[in-house]
Amino acid sequence: MNDLIRQAIAAEADERVDSRTVLAELHKRRKSKPFGLIIGVATLTVAAAAAAVIIPTTIKKTDAAPANAPVAEAQNVLLIGTDETHRSDALVLARFEGDGSATVISLPRDIYVGASPDRLNSLYMQDPRRLVDAVEQLTGTRVDHWAAVNMAAFGEVAAAVGGVEVCLNAAVNDPYSGADLPAGKQVIAGDQALAFLRQRHGLPLGDLDRVKRQQAFLAGFAAKITGETGPVLARLVGKAVQVDEGWDVVAFATRFQGPVKIRTSTLLVNQEVVRDSAYGYAVDPAQGKKFVEEQLSGKGQAGTGCVD
Amino acid sequence: MGFDQFVADRLDRLLGYATAITCDKHLAQDIVQDVLMRAQGKWERIGAMDAPYLYVKRMVTNDYLSWRRRKAAKEIAVERSELAERVPSMADPADAHAEREAMRARIAILPRKQRAALVLRFYEDCSDAEIAQVLGCAESTVRSQLSRALQTLRAHELARSATLGVHS
Repeated sequence: MNDLIRQAIAAEADERVDSRTVLAELHKRRKSKPFGLIIGVATLTVAAAAAAVIIPTTIKKTDAAPANAPVAEAQNVLLIGTDETHRSDALVLARFEGDGSATVISLPRDIYVGASPDRLNSLYMQDPRRLVDAVEQLTGTRVDHWAAVNMAAFGEVAAAVGGVEVCLNAAVNDPYSGADLPAGKQVIAGDQALAFLRQRHGLPLGDLDRVKRQQAFLAGFAAKITGETGPVLARLVGKAVQVDEGWDVVAFATRFQGPVKIRTSTLLVNQEVVRDSAYGYAVDPAQGKKFVEEQLSGKGQAGTGCVD
Repeated sequence: MGFDQFVADRLDRLLGYATAITCDKHLAQDIVQDVLMRAQGKWERIGAMDAPYLYVKRMVTNDYLSWRRRKAAKEIAVERSELAERVPSMADPADAHAEREAMRARIAILPRKQRAALVLRFYEDCSDAEIAQVLGCAESTVRSQLSRALQTLRAHELARSATLGVHS
């Protein structure tokens, strides 16, 4: 009878749930923030840079544009910040209105594509068109063009506009990122700009605060872009930017006449899942579409105050 | 051993153990999750022990045996006892699968502590001393729990064979 008992107990134990489900739950509980839902976060230091860089690049082209260009149509552009190994590190869906104002939505790069084990950040290397398709599905929004920016160019870019104004609620001194900044309004550039964007240790809300920093930086950066700084920036980053074939960048650029107004937000994700032993976020396409629609129709927040 | 390493090594086994004593994979999942969250908070102490797994298993077992889980355990027992009643009439004595399922149903309706002792012995291969440690009782109590459980299962087994014998 003992063997039978052994078999029966083993059969009962075999009913156990997949340990990966439990791992994901533990991971989620450990990370859960006061907001109650997990905010997926675009890590990118550089997503902000991606958005900021494409604008000056196109401004340069404006010089050659006909003076009496027709009023531009709104266009949706996927901005891809890549690292030195050409991986997409930051993803931003941006809608540029005819008047040059922009709405940008950071897309967490760890979002799973549909039901597959692929995450967004793996698609760009495979084929930029696959990434574009996946983003269209996720957001229910047409993507007209894409631009990829090598983020390594970013430090110089920030310096080229004479620094970017940001405001910190409290002084920071973070050995991980090298961020060493006083409280209050200040102009940052170069290494400190990168550290400001990269810091994730010691922030009250962790990654959520980091995205706020990126967005604050982006807003400050956009405010510095003018017809004068544009050409300089364009020269700096021209080689670091790649756009899809068939994008008439000159026509696109006619909309930028002065400092760019930007509204920013981050796609909310609330369900963390594990596939092939890797953590990521699953996003319900219906929710993603609703969120993106609301943001693009002007409900996103303009500007940012001081950040943590 | 670090907490993450412990979880990576032992989580699946711990879930199997919890499922076997609770006879309900969802209750088992809840318990294991709760326990691991608590264990993480005091991992400095647990991780430094000789047998962290034994200690965590004890936490899981205590959680299940606690009054908080009594209601959940009762509901499962009722469900399983209905199942147990149906199994003999459906079973073919030559069918090993049916035999095993019948035994499973009978184990599921044992008192909780007896079942925990049984699982520790037959699934975790624990000694009397280890079981005593996990259940927080004397070794003599372990022996009496086990013998009572086996007695019950044997009585059922005999009754079942007799019933099936009449029908065949």
